[in-house]
Amino acid sequence: MSDEAISESNEARDLVGEYQFGFHDEDKSVIRFNNGLSEQIVRDISAIKNEPEWMTDIRVKAYHHFVEREMPKWGSPEILNNIDFEAITYFLRSTDATKDDWKDVPEDIQNTFDKVGLREAEGTWLGGITAQYDSEAVYHSIREDLESQGVIFLDMDSGLREHPELVKKYFGKVVPHSDNKFAALNTAVWSGGSFVYIPKGVHVEMPIQAYFRINAENMGQFERTLILADEGSSVHYIEGCTAPSYSSTALHSAVVELIAMDGAKIRYSTIQNWSNNVLNLVTKRAHAMKNSTVEWIDSNIGSGLTMKYPAILLKGEGSHAEVVSVAYAGKGQHQDTGAKVHHLAANTTSNIISKSISKDGGRSTYRGMLQVMPKAHNCRSKIVCDALMLDSDSRSDTYPTMEIGNSSADLEHEASVSKVSGDQLFYLMSRGFSEQEAMGLIVNGFFEPFTRELPADYAVEMNKLLNIKMEGSIG
Amino acid sequence: MSPPPRAKHLWRYTPWPRIKPQEGVPVADKILFSIDGDVTLQSGAPRAVLESDIARVFLSEIGGSSHTLHIDGDFGLIHIQAKASGHVAAGHLHIDCKGSATVILHLTGEADWSGLYVSGVVADNCKLAYGFVNELSNDCKLLHCEDWAVGRDAVMEIAALSVGGFRCKSDVRTTLIGSGGSLKQAVTVHGLGSRHIDNHIEINHKVANCNSKLVINSACAGSSRSIATGLLKVAEGANGTDAGQVFRNLLLSDKARADSIPELEVLADEVKAAHGAASSPVNPEQVHYLMSRGHSPQQAETLIVEGFLIDAFSTLSDSDLKDVLATRMTIHLECELKR
Repeated sequence: MSDEAISESNEARDLVGEYQFGFHDEDKSVIRFNNGLSEQIVRDISAIKNEPEWMTDIRVKAYHHFVEREMPKWGSPEILNNIDFEAITYFLRSTDATKDDWKDVPEDIQNTFDKVGLREAEGTWLGGITAQYDSEAVYHSIREDLESQGVIFLDMDSGLREHPELVKKYFGKVVPHSDNKFAALNTAVWSGGSFVYIPKGVHVEMPIQAYFRINAENMGQFERTLILADEGSSVHYIEGCTAPSYSSTALHSAVVELIAMDGAKIRYSTIQNWSNNVLNLVTKRAHAMKNSTVEWIDSNIGSGLTMKYPAILLKGEGSHAEVVSVAYAGKGQHQDTGAKVHHLAANTTSNIISKSISKDGGRSTYRGMLQVMPKAHNCRSKIVCDALMLDSDSRSDTYPTMEIGNSSADLEHEASVSKVSGDQLFYLMSRGFSEQEAMGLIVNGFFEPFTRELPADYAVEMNKLLNIKMEGSIG
Repeated sequence: MSPPPRAKHLWRYTPWPRIKPQEGVPVADKILFSIDGDVTLQSGAPRAVLESDIARVFLSEIGGSSHTLHIDGDFGLIHIQAKASGHVAAGHLHIDCKGSATVILHLTGEADWSGLYVSGVVADNCKLAYGFVNELSNDCKLLHCEDWAVGRDAVMEIAALSVGGFRCKSDVRTTLIGSGGSLKQAVTVHGLGSRHIDNHIEINHKVANCNSKLVINSACAGSSRSIATGLLKVAEGANGTDAGQVFRNLLLSDKARADSIPELEVLADEVKAAHGAASSPVNPEQVHYLMSRGHSPQQAETLIVEGFLIDAFSTLSDSDLKDVLATRMTIHLECELKR
């Protein structure tokens, strides 16, 4: 390994061992509910936020559905069945209000967001950010020029307060509380997240970002995000997430709803880098109307268990879905990810690219659904799933499903599982790279369809992150 | 045994209540097996029931006939006729291959419900080419399970042609238990009217250095539906595995449906495992070309369907097996064309 590479990896390891963002601040919460879940807790969360009655009713209804709904029997039932919902904190307020100046944010929280690089990114290439710390946003900003064009970018609590009519109209319409057990849980206890509205014809050139940080032990984070892109508009939303390494389990169960109106485009990028004690059970779904485009650019590097299948319902003629998903499953990790595309209208198209790496006994699973409804004429779709296995202790599974109900559909699916080829390693080593560097290059190249979709700064960070993860993968 | 939940892929598209007989566990009539050639069928058959699978447990409980075919030495083509008659008919055929042979099992009859279980072992260094032709009458329901074990350096080829019955569920599982084992499997489905054909193909690579190839070609017309679920399992330590699965669907009408679920579970790292699935309509340029050569639109489509379905057998190397299956396919399509 070159001196530069050694120094870079030592730096990363010195920071906090294997996981770069495993540090945590002292818990100085303003309000922290007792652990455990009940109807009263759900009502208390709603009351503390002064929510309208209709939202309280939705929460309570969702809570009862959550209690009654069975745990999924697929994915990783052995982990799911062992979740102790009574050991989790469902609401924790870290500051008295969301600030729009970093100076007003407590210093230790400022430092945390400095360490994860958020403040630096804000100053250079983001159109706006929301920083969520445990249950609620602690900082929020949006560029003035976007605000003057009518762009709404708020944390979800503020969105409900300031635009109740829009939230009421669209909340739970893409992901109803009855969709699955964890969507019900989120609907019952949601807190934080983002509310975005892009007016007709407005193109948000710079990405907007939300950063989700879990700090407290035994925390449950249940953010709710709703993005509405009106006709002919476009937006790129990025979310990042990290958490401290604790021995106890934390639960992250978000719901994300996207609606792309006629001719709109939404790109939703995720760099999920939770610590391994976090269970990441997320429901993400989009509705794509006529001639619109929805893109999920999704990476899952962290967490002990992720079950996430970003979905797109192509409801309008000529709409397009794009999913690029990468997953890294290291020691003690199970990345159960995938994508779902439902072609409901004619002349709709979709592309799904999924890449996964399993190492040190990690397990990666692709679970997908491609459905073409009977009236969806002339649809086209292509799905590519590739998996790399880096040792014999690891596991890779692929469960794609294709349901084709229209004879004019033109669909392709291909998947492969393989290991890094000895020829490729040999070639790179013959050009002067060490075995470790050669492996890093191959892995970065394997994930290239994902990183090329990210803004340049993120792509560089992503490659560094992967290099850290690949440490020790040789021998 | 409680009915399996629909959450399981195996029972998602054809739930157990839709494929079992109307009554609980009826006493079945025997499926009558007859054989051509120099070999004979012996009564009785060994059976190890997979307790976790309701279909296999049900077929073992329902009774019916049971026979064993011993293949000791080199045989050519062996034809076995299986006739299912009456209300409910069931049968079990076990094939013990300690040589080489091409066996064709041809299922016909008019039973309202048929249950067929086929099991077999291909011993080390032996070769078996096995073809299953389902030509039940159009109002029959079929539950069909197969379990195969392929030994060290053994070669097995399986071909299936499904053109009979209105609702069929097939579950064929092969386990490669000896190093160097090889499996080639081809399945063709022709869906007509409101046929519902559900094929589950499971291939388990238990040991190192085995290879398997699976091709499923389905052509669906009318309001028929083809479901193909393929599960490829590569066990821990099964290094050197080379496995591939291809699912192709040709949809011939607006109401036809085809579902493909090729699944991979890989626990070893020195493997080549791949699957692919494709679905498309009949290419109008091909129809136009054939019509310009004097064929009617229906003939042109039939020729394309025939070529598409027979292509699945091109991966097989046993010429007898390919010829018999292709001939049955052609006869079936000609009969359909004349209707």
